[in-house]
Amino acid sequence: MNIGESIMVALDSIRSNLFRSALTTLGIVIGIAAVIAVVAIGQGGRATVIGEMEKIGSNLFAVYIDWRSDQPRTGDEFTLKDMEAIKEQIPEIKYLSPSAYAYDQVRGGKNTKAVQIMGVSSDYAPMRNLTMKEGRFFSSTDEQGRRRLAAIDEGLAEELFSQRSAIGEQIVVAGTSLTIVGVVKQEGSIFSMGGSQYVYMPIRVWMDIFPWNYISQMEGTTHNREDVQAATGKVVTILERRHQGTEYMSETLDQQMEIVGNITGIMTMIIGAIAGISLLVGGIGVMNIMLVSVTERTREIGLRMALGARRKDILTQFLIEATVLCLIGGIIGMTLGVGGAYLIAKLAHWPPLVSWTTMLLAFVFSALIGILFGLLPANKASRLDPIEALRRD
Amino acid sequence: MIRVENLSKIYRPDTLPVVALNGVTVSIAAGEYAAIMGPSGSGKSTFMNILGCLDKPTSGSYWLDGEEISRVSAEDLALIRNAKIGFVFQNFNLLPRMTALRNVELPMLYAGISKIQRHEQAREALEKVGMQDRLDHRPAELSGGQNQRVAIARSLVNRPKILLADEPTGNLDSRTSEEIMFIFSQLHQEGTTIVLVTHEYDIARHSQRIIHFYDGAIAREEQPFSSAAKKPEGGHNQ
Repeated sequence: MNIGESIMVALDSIRSNLFRSALTTLGIVIGIAAVIAVVAIGQGGRATVIGEMEKIGSNLFAVYIDWRSDQPRTGDEFTLKDMEAIKEQIPEIKYLSPSAYAYDQVRGGKNTKAVQIMGVSSDYAPMRNLTMKEGRFFSSTDEQGRRRLAAIDEGLAEELFSQRSAIGEQIVVAGTSLTIVGVVKQEGSIFSMGGSQYVYMPIRVWMDIFPWNYISQMEGTTHNREDVQAATGKVVTILERRHQGTEYMSETLDQQMEIVGNITGIMTMIIGAIAGISLLVGGIGVMNIMLVSVTERTREIGLRMALGARRKDILTQFLIEATVLCLIGGIIGMTLGVGGAYLIAKLAHWPPLVSWTTMLLAFVFSALIGILFGLLPANKASRLDPIEALRRD
Repeated sequence: MIRVENLSKIYRPDTLPVVALNGVTVSIAAGEYAAIMGPSGSGKSTFMNILGCLDKPTSGSYWLDGEEISRVSAEDLALIRNAKIGFVFQNFNLLPRMTALRNVELPMLYAGISKIQRHEQAREALEKVGMQDRLDHRPAELSGGQNQRVAIARSLVNRPKILLADEPTGNLDSRTSEEIMFIFSQLHQEGTTIVLVTHEYDIARHSQRIIHFYDGAIAREEQPFSSAAKKPEGGHNQ
């Protein structure tokens, strides 16, 4: 009997016990659906996080001082002269900017709000891929001339000036008045759900306004992604040579992306393994019902043997029946899993990532479960004595 | 066609030995129509099982169509059953979910015959037993006699060397039994070798030769006087 015939016989037998078959295959359906959905959701979430990070710039690096360390802060760990030296000595670096933070009140229009005031260089906007809603970011000329200009985030502009355009308006920070030249567009991002509300100003102006504060870190990008690690290392070397006795730390977005990838990978694996256990339970259900089927159809097996079926024909028939049962469950489960993954992805606003590999794996896996758990019942069927089997009713 | 020499079958030889067959020697020629009679426990069923290659003798030899098969593997026994033996059972043993046509196709499935040819041969076999109008009926939709006709068609479809019928009329009324016996007589006249087990003399008398079993051995043989029994004509012997 060829495979096609065996499949027909299997479908026939499944059809004649439709309700029972459906219940049996439910375990496989749930297992496969869970595995597919979990893997798809995990991969979608990971792709979203990494995508966001790449939007920020995958060749981004930061050099800072470990704030947990005991080393005393002098306040001049990062100077503008360091920046110049670094830019000069490391041609791989494309953009470099200090980032200095101060939390303070900003007054504009008739409103006052406490926000983060950032002192950065003109490189900051292209480095972090900031796009302007209106106006411009300040230039290096503005920076050299210590012009009291600022760019603010879209959300802050709305709060301070509501519907009016903020361009040309004055804001007051720590008693100093600055003119707004640009509004930074808010990008929807999973990292800033509410939207950040920053004020960006030239680092020299910031140093004038907050003389007691210091630059906490330095950020930059390289022209090529491959150079990030080496360039970051060189930055640290230069800084440590210029500031004897100070230890610097560095971080690249590439490293962070790797960590995120690893964490989501491990999470997916753990949840996937739990879902896999339900597949195991489903497999045992299939085995159980196949054993019942063999008992019920003992006479049929005896007859088939009398008519010339060899042991391996009977073995194949029942193996195929178990496999077909599991595959049907697998296909239904796949459909449900993919549907579930799409639904959750839609709700969470990230791409549903159902890879062909996952689908293929689920398909092969459900077939394997069928073969594995069909083996015992099929073996039992094939070992029946035809005379005994024919006598049974 | 069939030659059996000193055939013995002992069940449970180690613990509680039961002698089912005790030194049976008999020959059945090609084209012959033999009936086996005997009370229950006389060994006739065991004998039929061995003739049908469903069981192996404990000792002795069995030649079927020139082949010694008492030492053949289980795998090869299945092939022999498929190619050389047609079974007709008392309870028909048709698969209830399948149509008459598909039931008749079943032995050909294991012979690896193509689908088109299977259809063709199954239709021919059903025509032979007068069931050409019931091809798509399931066993539940047919009468007992009709079911047995389908079962006979199934036993013939692989053109076996011998037809083994175990109480083929046991579940049928006397009128239907006569119809079935008429089909057997026809098959016999066409040259089919038939061995039939029955405990009814009325059925057995259709054959050419009645072999009586008692206590696992052949007690006696007789030639029934019947209009249905004819000597095989030479041309049909294979």
